Amino acid sequence: MSREITITALKYNPSDCNSKPTFVDYKLQEEPGMTLYIALTKIKATVDHDLSSDFVCRAGICGACGMIINGKPKLACKTLTSDFKDGKIELLPLPTFPLIKDLSVDTGSWMKNMSIRVNSWIVTNEKTDISKLEKRIEPEVADEVFELDRCIECGLCVAGCSTAIMRKDFVGAVGLNRVARFSIDPHDERTDEDFYELIGDDEGIFGCMSLLACEDYCPKNLPLQSKIAYMRRKMIKV
Amino acid sequence: MSQENIIESLTGKTSKKKKSRIPAKLDFLQSATGLILAIFMIFHMLFVSTILISKDFMYSVTKAFELSFIFEGGSTVPVFISILIIFIIFIFHAFLAMRKFPISYKEVLRLKTHSDLMNHGDTKLWIIQVVTGFLLFFLGSVHLYIMLTNPGNIGPFASSDRVYSDTMWPLYILLLIAVEFHGAIGLYRLSVKWGWFEGSDPKKSRKRLKKAKWILSGVMLVLGAATLVAYMKIGAEHQSNYGERYTIQTEVQNAY
Amino acid sequence: MHIRYTDALIIGGGLAGLRSAIATSERGLDTIVLSLVPVKRSHSSAAQGGMQASLGNSIMGEGDNEDIHFSDTVKGSDWGCDQEVARMFVQTAPKAIRELAAWGVPWNRVVKGERAVVINAKHTTITEKEEAHGLINARDFGGTKKWRTCYTADATGHTMLYAVTNEAMKRGVVIEDKKEAISLIMKDGQCFGAIVRDLKKGGLSAYVAKGTMIATGGYGRIYKQSTNATICKGTGHAIALEAGAYLGNMEAIQFHPTPMVPSGILLTEGCRGDGGVLRDKDGYRFMPDYEPEKKDLASRDVVSRRMLEHIKKGKGVKSSYGDHLWLDISILGREHIEKNLRDVQDISMTFNGIDPADKDENGWMPVLPMQHYSMGGIRTTPKGQSVNIKGLFSCGEAACWDMHGFNRLGGNSVSETVVAGMIVGNYFADFCEETGIAIDTKMVQDELGKQDEYILGILACDGNEKIFDIKDKMRNIMQDKVGIFRNGKDLEEAVEELKILLQKTKNITVANKCRLLNPELEEAYKVPMMLKVALCVAKGARDRTESRGAHFREDYLKRDDENWLNRTISYWKNKDDLEPALKYEELDIMKMEIPPAFRGYGRKGFILENPLSQKRQEEVDKIIENHKSDRGSLQEKLMPYELQAEYKIKNQRLGDEDE
Ligand SMILES: Cc1cc2nc3c(=O)[nH]c(=O)nc-3n(C[C@H](O)[C@H](O)[C@H](O)COP(=O)(O)OP(=O)(O)OC[C@H]3O[C@@H](n4cnc5c(N)ncnc54)[C@H](O)[C@@H]3O)c2cc1C
Ligand code: HEM
Ligand code: HEM
Ligand code: SF4
Ligand code: F3S
Ligand code: FES
Repeated sequence: MSREITITALKYNPSDCNSKPTFVDYKLQEEPGMTLYIALTKIKATVDHDLSSDFVCRAGICGACGMIINGKPKLACKTLTSDFKDGKIELLPLPTFPLIKDLSVDTGSWMKNMSIRVNSWIVTNEKTDISKLEKRIEPEVADEVFELDRCIECGLCVAGCSTAIMRKDFVGAVGLNRVARFSIDPHDERTDEDFYELIGDDEGIFGCMSLLACEDYCPKNLPLQSKIAYMRRKMIKV
Repeated sequence: MSQENIIESLTGKTSKKKKSRIPAKLDFLQSATGLILAIFMIFHMLFVSTILISKDFMYSVTKAFELSFIFEGGSTVPVFISILIIFIIFIFHAFLAMRKFPISYKEVLRLKTHSDLMNHGDTKLWIIQVVTGFLLFFLGSVHLYIMLTNPGNIGPFASSDRVYSDTMWPLYILLLIAVEFHGAIGLYRLSVKWGWFEGSDPKKSRKRLKKAKWILSGVMLVLGAATLVAYMKIGAEHQSNYGERYTIQTEVQNAY
Repeated sequence: MHIRYTDALIIGGGLAGLRSAIATSERGLDTIVLSLVPVKRSHSSAAQGGMQASLGNSIMGEGDNEDIHFSDTVKGSDWGCDQEVARMFVQTAPKAIRELAAWGVPWNRVVKGERAVVINAKHTTITEKEEAHGLINARDFGGTKKWRTCYTADATGHTMLYAVTNEAMKRGVVIEDKKEAISLIMKDGQCFGAIVRDLKKGGLSAYVAKGTMIATGGYGRIYKQSTNATICKGTGHAIALEAGAYLGNMEAIQFHPTPMVPSGILLTEGCRGDGGVLRDKDGYRFMPDYEPEKKDLASRDVVSRRMLEHIKKGKGVKSSYGDHLWLDISILGREHIEKNLRDVQDISMTFNGIDPADKDENGWMPVLPMQHYSMGGIRTTPKGQSVNIKGLFSCGEAACWDMHGFNRLGGNSVSETVVAGMIVGNYFADFCEETGIAIDTKMVQDELGKQDEYILGILACDGNEKIFDIKDKMRNIMQDKVGIFRNGKDLEEAVEELKILLQKTKNITVANKCRLLNPELEEAYKVPMMLKVALCVAKGARDRTESRGAHFREDYLKRDDENWLNRTISYWKNKDDLEPALKYEELDIMKMEIPPAFRGYGRKGFILENPLSQKRQEEVDKIIENHKSDRGSLQEKLMPYELQAEYKIKNQRLGDEDE
């Protein structure tokens, strides 16, 4: 029942001066329930020990394995090879992020910069006495914050966004969502004016051209469209 | 030169150590001008397509714009002023939207490969918007300039002559296509951009909005094409009398 | 050659490492955190079900306190834990969770009024108190008396890790990802940092520090089937081992009852905590037959074994991946699943095409016990310092300060990571403040040079073994012979075979000779490290001739408190040895607050009692009986323990005065 599939990957090692970017084909037998994690692990263990890619949790939780899979930004570990009817799968590293090698890109530095840039943490003057009862939070508000806190920094929203492709300094949906997350968190004392200081420019909220690839490719189905609109409405009023 | 500008351009902050509020205003104005133009275009289409009903009707509507109910025989001044206002909004909108254009070769290449690879609907719509916007820059300007310099030459015969005998029709075909795509996509974008009509299920509303967008483009294109054909027909019949102005043939005139 | 100096070097950017980094940076110490991957991708992010802390806000947690949490933890550990450490832990856990709440973890909150829940496979209604509205909620988990596991749906580790990382960034902690520690810098039995490989560029550099902490998580990837992330290879343990550090209880490996078949991706204990049940091929709920009291929610070691026992009786569901059982959460209803078990649903749909909210067997998910957690680790004092290497600290899953003994309770691990980050992090900061860097540049350079040569040596090696085959074999041996059910013969074979494999790693060839970014080279230096860790596990298991917690011997069915109430210490005597040396560290019953007894679940009557247990129990009973004044002084009499004053302070609960 199993068929042969062809995985084509872009190979390139920018830190090796002899390396030239090339597409390499790998043929292998498909197994039931095979994900791209399983397929690539197999390729790495048998045919090409030199192929680099990033997998950590292999369960769609950590956000490490974003790739361009037949054109679309996706989590490789959550992609089944059986989804591709013709058995041909082309893999490219995520654009926008610096390439480390082959399919491995440096999302870490990008996300770190983004986090620092939007001050991705609770800002408050309140001192918490941790031996006392915790602050009460309305359950729905907690749920709402959680909903936005589910972002796994996979970078698919950035890789799918043409604005980010053209403008290197654009914070991306991930950054805008992060700001929305803190703006509704009751622990955070920042005002809209404060958030304006972080994202009130053409590299921030006003740079977003509402292309909505972020919304369409976010593997966590975050409500990016409405949260970006929400922040835009807020920021325009500041 | 203002010191404030120097401070902001060098430090990215105002002298109060705040971010400038200008980007917010620009974003708002871009949308506002787009919205005004898009709404204007819907009414504009309804107006020019009155020719489909009858020459008289179109004539009387034209006269109404010339405020013939105030000035005897109508004046071209109000028409001139409204064209000027639209022209200014048009230029302003173009000026604001230009900020979003891909400018260098690298940007265009990245945008193009990315969009070709990904084949993502809304991204393609945006590219259509950029391309049509770019075309409108020229096509729209020509049209507006002609209108601006001939505010009196609007009417069943004057317009038809222009379309047919002055060979404006090729321009109009392009202009029509460009503007209807651009405007409808623009309205869709405005809704998702500002979260209008989101309702309880934004994903579903977005699907609906997109459908509405296609319908709007479609209807406007059909209507526009029919109108253009009507002008062509009249223009062709009227070619021998090029330059002659229309006069009212029925009693509608008395209404004003 | 590149050398960096810092006050505190923390290897590992999971919850434990980052929380420790916050502790040191609060003191103004220069802190560097290293991680194999961007820290927010550390394995802590995969923790799903929740974090234990005895807040007692929910009606089902009413009356909960440190004492009950303590007793659950000790029983869970099958009396293998260090009870003083368990006390330190339970006392600090409520503070840890409140700190996290203030840092923005959007804990699920109590909603006042009626709420529909599933308890013991029956739909029931509970009524939450008005006063509890808006406080942190909890769910049920295995091996606990009360509902104590606080959660954010089934992405608890994720939200915790993000909050802690964000706080660390806010405090300016230097976080360097894609950096791998490959050896420790040692001088006169003291650790002064690590040699680090840059995984983005491939070069080596030395990080010299006053104090070094290893918080590298677990080592589950030595097994073929594991719920652990691909990076959980135990290299942190290996570098400690190579530096001479003692590892504790390495054979104590937890197998989780409900990873999904065949991917091995975990379905959280929260599934059963919220009311899900296990079923066999006939759709029969079998756990109550084996464990009438805790049923599907006995501790993990017990449930896992019962499942395999049931499969051995022929009740497993046949599949091309072998026999498995079913996990049924469909009874919880679609709404509950889509809100509180959303990731579970997503995982199940993606990887198995099953929507667990679908009615009856359509929604059942195939599960089988697999490796999940490493109780063992770098043996430390209750302050987190290695028992035999100065300047080397460890906390989190990587450490064995020993609060889990031979089995850890679900929800106690993420809780441990932050609690240890607070407690050990502070002791670590004390140490870094008091210590100077007593090592000269030359020695550092020598160590760097040595590692450089080692890497070049691997590339130069021209043998006929393949590193990927060796790795595969190791993982199969561990799976087949050092698994849930263990016996002397298999374990003996395992040790011998692993030794052969370790020998073979010296005889490999790496095809690509590039010393920079070269995945094959990485395997070539990691697999020997993994083998050393595996050998500690296998040999420790071989020699421990009893069954305790997760360590279960078919040939020694009883827990042997007379001979084996001790901790296994494994260490590498000589660099070229092929196996670790073992020794044992006794546990003193006469100091225990809760002396060994029956856990309340699992097989009855399978204990070889130590006469001291009874004696100590009587002593304890007497102390309690004669005690008149407050709880604090009773603790001093029962079992005093040291803890920073700010953490020892009483935890306020709902209903306590001065609210
Ligand atoms: C699927 C799953 C679900 C779980 N669910 C729960 C739960 O619901 N409740 C609960 O309490 N526990 C749970 N656990 C257990 C818990 O998640 C872990 O025990 C805990 O998160 C470990 O945290 P840590 O900080 O010690 O290590 P980790 O989070 O594993 O972090 C290790 C860090 O060390 C780094 N590192 C490793 N080696 C090196 C090296 N050589 N050099 C440099 N850096 C290195 C890694 O990059 C990483 O940053 C679960 C575990 C699994 C596998
Ligand atoms: C010179 C002519 C024009 C140019 C160059 C131009 C260009 C653009 C561009 C590039 C955008 C996208 C901006 C973005 O994504 O942020 C845009 C948006 C828009 N345009 Fe135009 N346009 C022109 C004329 C018009 C006309 C005539 C209309 C009316 C039909 C119109 C209506 C809109 C609308 C409604 C939007 C959406 C506004 C927004 O996204 O904020 N434009 N235009
Ligand atoms: C106030 C300003 C405007 C006036 C008074 C005006 C007037 C007219 C008139 C009278 C016609 C009929 C043909 C003719 O007389 O040449 C026409 C056609 C047309 N105009 Fe305008 N116009 C204005 C602005 C615009 C703008 C801004 C656009 C788009 C950028 C535009 C797009 C078109 C198109 C596409 C047609 C062809 C109509 C069709 O095919 O049905 N017009 N306009
Ligand atoms: S917003 Fe979605 S797509 Fe973007 S990084 Fe977060 S999870 Fe990934
Ligand atoms: S794709 Fe990009 S442009 Fe905005 S809506 Fe999403 S961030
Ligand atoms: S490997 Fe973690 S999301 Fe794919």
